[in-house]
Amino acid sequence: MNQTEIFDQVVKILTPYVKNQEALEGVSLDTHILDDLKVNSARLVDVVLEFEDAFNIEIDDDDVDKVETVGNAVELIEAKIG
Amino acid sequence: MALESVAPLPAGVHRKLVVQREISRLLSPLTTSFVAAALRCAFGYRIEDLRGFRREYRKICLEHDGPLMICANHLTMIDSFVIAWALGSPWWYFRHFRTLPWNVPERSIFAATRFLRVAIYVLKCLPVERGGDRLEVTGVLSCLANVIANHEVALIFPEAGRSRTGRVDPDSAASGIGRIYRSASHCRVVCVYLRGDHQDAYSDMPVRGEVFRGSVSVIEPKTNYRGLRASRDIARQIAQRLANMEQEYFDDRK
Repeated sequence: MNQTEIFDQVVKILTPYVKNQEALEGVSLDTHILDDLKVNSARLVDVVLEFEDAFNIEIDDDDVDKVETVGNAVELIEAKIG
Repeated sequence: MALESVAPLPAGVHRKLVVQREISRLLSPLTTSFVAAALRCAFGYRIEDLRGFRREYRKICLEHDGPLMICANHLTMIDSFVIAWALGSPWWYFRHFRTLPWNVPERSIFAATRFLRVAIYVLKCLPVERGGDRLEVTGVLSCLANVIANHEVALIFPEAGRSRTGRVDPDSAASGIGRIYRSASHCRVVCVYLRGDHQDAYSDMPVRGEVFRGSVSVIEPKTNYRGLRASRDIARQIAQRLANMEQEYFDDRK
């Protein structure tokens, strides 16, 4: 799976949680998940758990703290997939 | 259930916490008396069966010397003060200082002025900007996990902010609370549901002369999940217990 495919899947997973639809239209690797997309911080764990299911990976609690941007999520998933 | 270990705090942070705790302890007869007097006399608040609340909390603290975290519903900005007042007298807190809960108030409100910063410092508060810098929030949660693991008590609102619907929503429970719980071996959760007669929705302050009613119960959530799912499951179990207590509250009021 290449980075573009991971990115597309990440955005697809994020979409139901996004409150700022305008930011979603211009989403990029630098888009901040909480600040730009306005995803509720309490919901971020649900998003990460969906990443786990979709990519068949396991993400540690500590790794969640490092996910701030869409790019962070993509990099983390890439690293886990190997 | 797999437990996580508590990461030790950096020496500087640990030292600051110890200093804060000892200053708070020395001043606690004054500060807790002041808060109780302000709530009772200045605002005219009352708690139905105050003795029952305090008896229950005393029993829980004396029966269990291990880690305790208090989780409560959240409707106003001063809930943590009202809850601490409901659960113990100034004399009790002076004699059993560990049971005076650490709190995590919103910095933009409770640390806005120098006076407030000093006031919350001596009241065992660790201000945090909710939704703010993730590393800072993680640092404060780490401090909480450490104080709980060291058998002190902390008060945490599972929904993080005030309940926007006025009702406890188990789905909005922040998983961080589950993470803290999992990091403390043999931790018990003291669920406190407290609501004023005029509190139909969330607000900044309860109305003057408000009468609070509610209940206290203890749970030890268990989960078969691991990692993040375990933290989320624990957080939801705690919030669900509060939601059940809320239902009982409204059933009793019919």
